[in-house]
Amino acid sequence: MRLLWLSALACNGNAHSLLNYPGFQEWQEDFHWLYHPLLPSRYTFPEIEKGIEGVEVLIVDGTLEEGLIKNRLPYRELLLRYGDQAERIVTVGTCATFGGIFAQGGGGRSGLHFEGDEHLKGYERFWEKTVSLPGCPVQPEVLAGTLSIIRRRDPLPLDTLHRPKYFYAYTIHDGCTRNEYFEYKIDEHHFGTLEGCMFYDHGCQGTFTHGSCNKILWNGVNSKTRAGTPCLGCTEPDFPREGLWRTPKHMGIPARMPLGVPRRAYLGLAGIAKAFRIERFTRPLMEDEGG
Amino acid sequence: MAEVRLELIEKIEGEAQVRYHYEKDHIDFAEILFLTGRGIERILEGRDPWDALAINPRVCGICGHAHLIATVRALEDCYDDLQVSAKAKQIRELTLAFEVLQNHFKWFYLTILPLLELKAPMERVLEPSRLLGEMIALLAGQYPHNSYAIPGGISGEITPVELLGVRERHQRIRKHFQESVIHVDLEQFVRCDRIETMLEREGDLPRAMQRILDWGWERLGRSHDRFIVFGSNDLFEAGKSIGTRLRRHLDLRYLQESPIQGSRARRVLYRGRSYETGPLARAMLLKTPLTREAHRRYGDSLFSRILARVCEIPRLLRYTESLIGSIDLSEPAWVDPGPLPVEAEGVGIVEAARGSLIHQVRVGEGKIQKYRIVTPTQWNLGNGSREDPGVAQAALIGLRRGDPAELVFKSFDVCSVCTTK
Ligand code: SF4
Ligand code: SF4
Repeated sequence: MRLLWLSALACNGNAHSLLNYPGFQEWQEDFHWLYHPLLPSRYTFPEIEKGIEGVEVLIVDGTLEEGLIKNRLPYRELLLRYGDQAERIVTVGTCATFGGIFAQGGGGRSGLHFEGDEHLKGYERFWEKTVSLPGCPVQPEVLAGTLSIIRRRDPLPLDTLHRPKYFYAYTIHDGCTRNEYFEYKIDEHHFGTLEGCMFYDHGCQGTFTHGSCNKILWNGVNSKTRAGTPCLGCTEPDFPREGLWRTPKHMGIPARMPLGVPRRAYLGLAGIAKAFRIERFTRPLMEDEGG
Repeated sequence: MAEVRLELIEKIEGEAQVRYHYEKDHIDFAEILFLTGRGIERILEGRDPWDALAINPRVCGICGHAHLIATVRALEDCYDDLQVSAKAKQIRELTLAFEVLQNHFKWFYLTILPLLELKAPMERVLEPSRLLGEMIALLAGQYPHNSYAIPGGISGEITPVELLGVRERHQRIRKHFQESVIHVDLEQFVRCDRIETMLEREGDLPRAMQRILDWGWERLGRSHDRFIVFGSNDLFEAGKSIGTRLRRHLDLRYLQESPIQGSRARRVLYRGRSYETGPLARAMLLKTPLTREAHRRYGDSLFSRILARVCEIPRLLRYTESLIGSIDLSEPAWVDPGPLPVEAEGVGIVEAARGSLIHQVRVGEGKIQKYRIVTPTQWNLGNGSREDPGVAQAALIGLRRGDPAELVFKSFDVCSVCTTK
């Protein structure tokens, strides 16, 4: 399958992230890069500007900016030309999907179909064929996996923002090693420890952020929340919100509830869980049960 | 006959344009232009200072971790008296060094070898890149773009299990270096001071250096022969050197940034002069034997620059190995520093893969008032004038048609996104 990777305002993190895919060598046998910002490709960028044929999947990376010119042609012209040519369009990363961090750095900046959660109409004719792969950066398994599913023409169920369900139906909270502290409402957390949950004080957005970070694991080995960093919500339209390391509160309780959980339900469960004061969760994990 | 040609340089973490001015058969002047910019410094203004820990790694997809470490150092510098355990410092040094190592491998295999028309199996770059990403992730949660370094230490706790994972992969990379890059004992290589001894060995490094000699390119790409290094740790020493004359003392007040016409990059000077930063500069300050020998023979040419960078790999491997061995896991990973002062200024300096990276923050009313980032590529790629050309410009000027201008350019390992931020 022939892929064309077009970067707008990017950090190149998505391109580098893909190189970490453990099965990269084998995976790549099924794909040809017409253009990729790092890897050997069939064409040079000026040739892409001149015009090529045969694009099957267009990969859009980076925040779009009105009037952006990378070399000679407006980026928009390239997008329209190759967007029409491609069977599918994949927006890779949060920048290309929702605008992301760089959308805050100047006017006229957005993702391909969204500015935050506002659905834009500028490329509406591509909406049906677009798949959104937000993440800052995207996990390599998510990008490689989605492209493979597209290539095999297998069904690819999407959510309302066009994120593939296979990867984004989960929340980051699923699989976090700090889960028990959340379940039993142990609201004390200190950095530099294995214990505790960052939901209550330190801004963790894992319970309402879609993605597979704690299911697939980053680089196959770990995740932010396992390493004591709050989930910053990087796969969601409002990334990056202000004050990423603090939990906004409403009457002393985190203002934002876990996905789909009514506040009343949360408060009810929290009350019961807290009442039990389970001793195990107050002890360091590495300490003896007797000690 | 004067002629102007505009060329696009691609695959440098973005692109740059170079406008070459030819006079007869040689380059008489070259302007380096970066067309796009993102405005990270502006994005930071008005935000909670800790947000910089999340945003700044996104300056760059290849060296973002250096930006994280520079950020945390700048924030910590805002405190009067802040405790960070030796353990947390060592772990941060480790993840930073792993990224530098990864960048060196990527640059040598993906950028330099193809320009020398040398082939190597893709796995030679993929394997170390992936392993080093895993090593960072084991300690920091993920790679690229983690935010685990926070004022007071690191966000999580490390157990012997993570360190074991790091150790095993470290060994693998060491083997990889000896099997693929140069077939020689690491210790021996670090002491080696003869180019011929290096060339006699098998491996991709001697192949590359031999190719440069065979094609007669070893003296190309010479610049001002002025070097600067701001960061220091147990591996690198700060200072500047003009040719081989060293001065240790540097003062950030002498740093000036100025806009470049027609480009989104800013030039940076020290006391009004441009300096080269990066592995060659670091080697010149340390007087490492092999690089010094290359410099003695060929000056600050692309030969010396490429050799200096690859020669950093074994040094970094030894450095990280000793760091891993010295970590005392019983120390705290994080010591609560208390709230960040509401009014403060801080500086964070890091030796990143491509050279010195400097972050400066001013906090007012508890928010970021001003944030300034000076990247290595700004030193190396910033444009000057005909009378006073920048570092890469000076390296390009004088090249003849048919000379490898792209290789000269890329010997600095340009990072476009870092240049324009
Ligand atoms: S730290 Fe975040 S992801 Fe982990 S359990 Fe708590 S809320 Fe869930
Ligand atoms: S843990 Fe959260 S912030 Fe981190 S990569 Fe996953 S979704 Fe993004």
